[in-house]
Amino acid sequence: MMEFAIETNGLSKFYGDVRAVDSVDLRVKRGEVYGFLGLNGAGKTTTIRALLGMIRPSAGEVRVLDQTLGGDGRGPWSRVGHLVENPAAYPELSVRENLEAARRLHGIQNPKAVDETLEKLSITTYAERKAGTLSSGNFQRLGLARALLHKPELLILDEPSNALDPAGIVEIRELLAGLAREQGTTIFMSSHILTEVNLLADRIGVIHKGRLIEELDAARLEEICAKQLVIGTRDAHQAREALAGFEVTALEDGRLAVKDVRAVEAPDMIATLLVNAGAAPTHLAIEQENLEEYFLRLTQSSEPRRR
Amino acid sequence: MKNFFAALWVEMLKTRRSKVPFFTALGFLILPLVSGLFMIILKDPEGAKSMGLIGTKAQLTAGTADWSAFFSILSQGIAVGGAILFAIITAWVFGREFSDRTAKELLALPTSREAIIGAKFVVIAVWTFGLSLVIFGLGLVVGYWVDIPGWSMELLRSATGGVLGSALLTIVLLPFVALVASMGRGYLPAFGWAILTVATAQIAAVMGWGDWFPWAVPALFSGAAGPRAELLGIHSYLVVILFSGIGLAATFYWWRNADQTR
Repeated sequence: MMEFAIETNGLSKFYGDVRAVDSVDLRVKRGEVYGFLGLNGAGKTTTIRALLGMIRPSAGEVRVLDQTLGGDGRGPWSRVGHLVENPAAYPELSVRENLEAARRLHGIQNPKAVDETLEKLSITTYAERKAGTLSSGNFQRLGLARALLHKPELLILDEPSNALDPAGIVEIRELLAGLAREQGTTIFMSSHILTEVNLLADRIGVIHKGRLIEELDAARLEEICAKQLVIGTRDAHQAREALAGFEVTALEDGRLAVKDVRAVEAPDMIATLLVNAGAAPTHLAIEQENLEEYFLRLTQSSEPRRR
Repeated sequence: MKNFFAALWVEMLKTRRSKVPFFTALGFLILPLVSGLFMIILKDPEGAKSMGLIGTKAQLTAGTADWSAFFSILSQGIAVGGAILFAIITAWVFGREFSDRTAKELLALPTSREAIIGAKFVVIAVWTFGLSLVIFGLGLVVGYWVDIPGWSMELLRSATGGVLGSALLTIVLLPFVALVASMGRGYLPAFGWAILTVATAQIAAVMGWGDWFPWAVPALFSGAAGPRAELLGIHSYLVVILFSGIGLAATFYWWRNADQTR
């Protein structure tokens, strides 16, 4: 058994001149929660479809659970659960019937699997309701229920928190975290909700314009997100003069920011400089760039680099 | 094979829960009922004249009030009406997967795509042929009730062959509708295709090429343009079988190999 649940080498998908996915090398370890971040249209869903054998790569190779996908749709699908883009269900069938159909197509012998999954996703109350009449949040839960029905080793989820209310987001996050922790399920989830990914993922990959521009351990994120010293003062002009040796930027609210590592590591020295110059600080704090800011900085930076 | 039966169970569930079988049956029921009405009118020519247009139409369609004419209307109705109605059924079975965005749920499964597509074709065949049988059976009841003259067992045997043969020839050409619904990712292209084939079949028949044009064969078989033995040859049936096979193979090929982006 190989170390990786998902492995792509040079995965590319072109539609005419459009490079939807371009030379993506992914490595998702078994038991890992991998957050796949990207703006709308970045190539997340195209990558996911390629991982599920729904589209043929223009170039490159995809391996899922030790099986190389051959482009004929065959793959280890009895061990993979998926949710691609918006969930879909047959509107005239009840929630239970939709899951029963999925149970049979997955060849699951246990007839209780449907009830167990309904309970797990907290939609037992809606079991006999026609899927077409569900709220978007419960429709999303039905999509997730189908993905989890056969207790897969690998879950490939495209925006799993879509349409859920805040309580639902927390509930699904805990459910997924539990699956990873207790059952060792590998989870590959795409999202544009950065905090959601940050809370759940062990590793994060950032895709932009079809290219994987960054891949990092979630724990490293703390270190990577830039820090700055934010200064409030009654005399900004005087303060700027006092900090002439540093690169100072003015924030929108009138405060000043210094990213220089000397300032970040010694705010007391900056305070002394300001006091001595007659521009005593009214506010002095080290602020860390959040994930959104980091993400925007990453995607807005120079052209994507080759990995 | 186990996978195929799972897929068949699912397709049958979707069909049972849908309103489409009910409405297609309702739509097709008009055929034996209107045929019976024509017979009532034709049995009383004086009354038919006094009824204006409907009398004229009935005379144009059937001519005389007997079982032979009645079976001829049924057979032609199944060939021409079936080409549209059966296409609607096929377009629904395949096209709904795209309209409801459920196609992506049929792809990454332990049940192969071939099993799922095979199950869809079986459901379509059973549904459309079953509908044809119901229409034919109801036609017999209506004819008996209207008390049409000229009944014989020999006529029944030949009419059964004519009506069900027309239905069968129409049904085996449905894979192309499935292919167009799949490639067009929805109902509308398939409806357009059905109308196109009916229209071109008419033109082909008028031009005298109907025996070589697969979509004209069912209507010619039904006796719409004269005795079938004079209009069709063995090559006509071979062309239908050939195009049926091409449609089936292309549909399976498409579902296995095409990029699924919806």
